[in-house]
Amino acid sequence: MSSLARAGRHRLALAGLVVIVATVLMALLAPALAPSDPIKNRLIDRLTPPAWAAGGSWTHPLGTDTLGRDVLSRLLYGARVSLVVGFASVAIAGVLGVVLGLVAGFYGGWPDDALMRLGDIQLGFPALVLAIAVLAVLDASLLNVILVLGVSGWVTYARIVRGEVLSLKHRDFVEAARALGAADGYLMLRHILPNVLAPITVVATFSVARIIIAEASLSFLGLGIPPPAPSWGAMLDEGRNYITTGWWLALFPGLAILLLVLGINLVGDWLRDALDPRMERGI
Amino acid sequence: MTHWTASMLCALTGLTLALAPAAVDAQARALDGVAIDPDAELVVALADDTNNMDPRIGMGSIRSNYIRQVFESLVDVDSQGKPVPGLALAWKPVGDLAWEFSLRRGVTFHDGEPFNAEVVLFNLDRMFRRNLDRWGIKDVAAGTSFEKVFPFVSRWEKVDDYTVRVHTSEPSATLWDFIGREPLVPRAWTTKHGVEALNERPIGTGPWKLVEWKRKDHMSFERWERYWGNPPLYKRMRFQTIPEAAARIAALRAGQVGLIEAVPPLDADVLKAEPKVQVSTAVQKLVCRLYLNGRPRDKYDSGGKDGLFTDARVRMAFNLAVNKEAIVRKIFNGYARVNASPVASVSFGYAPQEPYAYDPRKAKALLMEAGWKESGGGWIDRNGEPVNVSLLFPAKHYGQAFDEMTTAVVEMIKEIGVPVTVKPVDFGTQLQVLQKGTLAPNGAFTACRTSNALDADDFLRDWTAFTLINWAPYPPELLALFTASRRELDPAKRLKLLADLQRQVRDWAPVVSLYQEVKIYAATARVLRFTPIPELNMDFRGVALRK
Amino acid sequence: MRRFLLRRLLHALFVVWGVVTVVFFLVRLTGDPSAFLVDQTATQAEIAHARHLLGLDRPMWVQYVEFLGSVPRGDFGTSIRDRRPAMRMVLEHFWPATAELALASLVLSTVLAVPLGVVSATHRDRAPDHLSRLGSLFLQSMPSFWLGLMLILLFAVHLGGLLPAYGAGSWRHLVLPAVTLAAAPLAQNVRLVRSGLLEVLQQDYVRTARAKGLGEGLVIYRHALRNAAIPVITVTGLSLGFMLSGAIIIETVFSWPGLGRLVVQAVPARDFPVIQAGVFVFAVIFVALNVLVDLLYTVVDPRVRLP
Repeated sequence: MSSLARAGRHRLALAGLVVIVATVLMALLAPALAPSDPIKNRLIDRLTPPAWAAGGSWTHPLGTDTLGRDVLSRLLYGARVSLVVGFASVAIAGVLGVVLGLVAGFYGGWPDDALMRLGDIQLGFPALVLAIAVLAVLDASLLNVILVLGVSGWVTYARIVRGEVLSLKHRDFVEAARALGAADGYLMLRHILPNVLAPITVVATFSVARIIIAEASLSFLGLGIPPPAPSWGAMLDEGRNYITTGWWLALFPGLAILLLVLGINLVGDWLRDALDPRMERGI
Repeated sequence: MTHWTASMLCALTGLTLALAPAAVDAQARALDGVAIDPDAELVVALADDTNNMDPRIGMGSIRSNYIRQVFESLVDVDSQGKPVPGLALAWKPVGDLAWEFSLRRGVTFHDGEPFNAEVVLFNLDRMFRRNLDRWGIKDVAAGTSFEKVFPFVSRWEKVDDYTVRVHTSEPSATLWDFIGREPLVPRAWTTKHGVEALNERPIGTGPWKLVEWKRKDHMSFERWERYWGNPPLYKRMRFQTIPEAAARIAALRAGQVGLIEAVPPLDADVLKAEPKVQVSTAVQKLVCRLYLNGRPRDKYDSGGKDGLFTDARVRMAFNLAVNKEAIVRKIFNGYARVNASPVASVSFGYAPQEPYAYDPRKAKALLMEAGWKESGGGWIDRNGEPVNVSLLFPAKHYGQAFDEMTTAVVEMIKEIGVPVTVKPVDFGTQLQVLQKGTLAPNGAFTACRTSNALDADDFLRDWTAFTLINWAPYPPELLALFTASRRELDPAKRLKLLADLQRQVRDWAPVVSLYQEVKIYAATARVLRFTPIPELNMDFRGVALRK
Repeated sequence: MRRFLLRRLLHALFVVWGVVTVVFFLVRLTGDPSAFLVDQTATQAEIAHARHLLGLDRPMWVQYVEFLGSVPRGDFGTSIRDRRPAMRMVLEHFWPATAELALASLVLSTVLAVPLGVVSATHRDRAPDHLSRLGSLFLQSMPSFWLGLMLILLFAVHLGGLLPAYGAGSWRHLVLPAVTLAAAPLAQNVRLVRSGLLEVLQQDYVRTARAKGLGEGLVIYRHALRNAAIPVITVTGLSLGFMLSGAIIIETVFSWPGLGRLVVQAVPARDFPVIQAGVFVFAVIFVALNVLVDLLYTVVDPRVRLP
């Protein structure tokens, strides 16, 4: 591989990283950056176009939405929701999946059978139907959306971890540690976990991207983050009836989601190549 | 003009219609000098499919559109929403305790079964759940339980083959309406095939007969050539389900459909400017409200607490806090109307009421008067307890403008210092909370209410029995006024009672009245003479397609 | 082989049982449909009566046992909203609408992935590679309802009705929804084909084939792709669940009369029989396709033998 090409690959990943960092900064600095309150209505200013379009003004650089709220401010605050939903759900799924996968792989026997069958059942259940039904039982709230998206994602991680554990369990260094009297928990944490971290990280990266899209899908079904909190998914969904009459409503959150998800995917791609090119096989 | 001479007049016009169906004759090739195509097909895009065709199961706003093409009622409506003869040529009270319907002759169902008094008696039995065993048909869990809502209807009889009399145990001014607007099904066909068949292959007397129904996709109709009035001016019609508004508009612009319903308010103005598209609107019998829990503690499942909104002053304060004009102008782009009366503006007996002023300061003052106190940070307390309104709303159920409106209302209420927590739920969840009476004491919800009846009575009934939309029961004096209006047979006196009741309800403010919907349709230039009616359905009689 | 099939079948039965059990109890947690069966003026007693007519007032375990007993007969009861047999409704929506859509996007997402992946791998880190990967990632990075609406605007409006905006019935109706549904799995498959090929192209047997003077195209399509196909098959088998349930949103956007929309609308209506029948069919298809995937391994990769 020429060094030029290598640099090209890194450039894409770097661009992805820049997008992610920028989004995180937007989220953190939202109160300082936002030109106005993201929640307060000003019906009188409803549907003001972006500053550069006819009828726009720099008071609302990206225009206002259907209730006269500043689109830029909502976008900035919305970054918080999208990032929190994406990362928190994946964290829940990842921790749950890794722990259950370790247990299943390490102990085998009935816990293994039970957990893997549970995973099969989970995969055989249409994910959105599950989310809709669960959210009909629980209140739709930020926390519950995160929980639903998180809990339903554990199977992939558990399967990867279990597979790795099975292949590592009888390797010399693990057997040696066990012969020396190492406790199960210690073995898992010290010897096995580090070995599964690479594939897990890669899968998790792609999952964050997928969850951000899934949150938008929930909004489409009316089960997303409750109003008036801004989330990119909800903004995009609100904007879809205004494609011809208020294009900026859907364009900006759409672009934001597109860029962030693309950025995360690019970083994920790079991570996978760097850590383990074979990893998507065993999922 | 008294009421029954009005219906006699209707009878006369109905007769002329029946005698001279040649305003546009069936062979017509032209309308208003434009060549039309009698063999054409009109594709109409609707936001949703119906899930049922049996009128007894319910006549909601989606179902009505489908059901009323196929089935008809004794009382028909014109484009203004006024009663005109349908399957009955005339109706009139006989004494204080009976109504008589004179039926139209020569009407046949789509399978050839004749329409007559027997058919009407059978339908009355079915509506009031009598003699179902004798007819050998199953009961259906129905949308309206006539025997409960109208318990004073005692019996019905055939006077001759084309005259039916319905008896009541007390005077009833609106019997012609609640019985007359119910779509009628065939007797022989239903008893032979069972009530399930009404759902699968409905047979009515309407201008369109159903020929194919692919659920969640489309329903196809064909002109009923032996229709008693003027048969439709084009041959086939297809109701196509297109849930997304953007896709409906795209299909219209691309000429793939001829007519679309439920156009979003902003798109209406854009479409109006397009030369190939015509936009038409009609006020609907759909009123949207913010309901506040004003039930006493023993009337719902509260854990022993009265609703937070039992005091009429508090509810009035909320009415003054919400800028309804701004909502209608801004969110609905003018395609809705503010209505301070509990009755839809197109119902018979509607009396316009003085609008609730938008006056946040007065709203706050009213709250103070009712014993609410200002606490730190600009928020309001009541008896030392912080007040927080918990507002349910059925997201994605009534359309996007409704969802936006709810968010706007919440922010307006916060402006007067009352915190609100919004809980979007699916429609089923909301329905269960209301029906089981498990709304929180500080609970509130936004919802819309429709009506199939033509008379104001249907709306004024809302605060009588404890139903899922009654969260502030009438005080005794209003209940007495309502009962009096129901029994008053003298039309002039009755109108006065209705107007009086509407004024008192306005001041007593059982709900925060938000807006009355205006429905927007758009059609291609090929569609001629489409006139929206203020009912829940569309009427395609008289519509033609340019050649 | 027979033992394998038997074990696989038992496993499949278990998964289907698990899914219907979960859905049975889950929907009952969301309340009950009696509120939809009575009018606005119903009293508590009448609601209780409606619940009784539906049999929902009996102990949960009695209902469950009865439910399990009727599942093998394919009897899922009568839809509460539509008052028609639930399974018949589900099958009507599954065939042909959902089946067509799922199949078309399955074919699109796998067949298109091969040339794109091959180009990516053979031009590794050069413009064609970047283009193919970025392009597919781009598609994957949009919420499907958004992509769908954009396609409608483009093809149905701006290109003068080149493709219809709604409905089902012909291949022209199928194009837009199938492309929208295929977008996300396509990107994933391109990646898999690419990485699979890159790995194989380094291996001895491919080098040997090359050394024997076989053309590059033949090497790739005859030898290397076989290897790259396995992860594609695995992941496709698993993402079929997504294909079926992801279709829910696409069905709404494109007015496609499929199973997803039926089931999603049944949840707010608490139409238990339809939800149960729909989820059952999902599960059966998912399980059946995964058995098929296992069998496919043996065809694609002779090294895999069924025990």
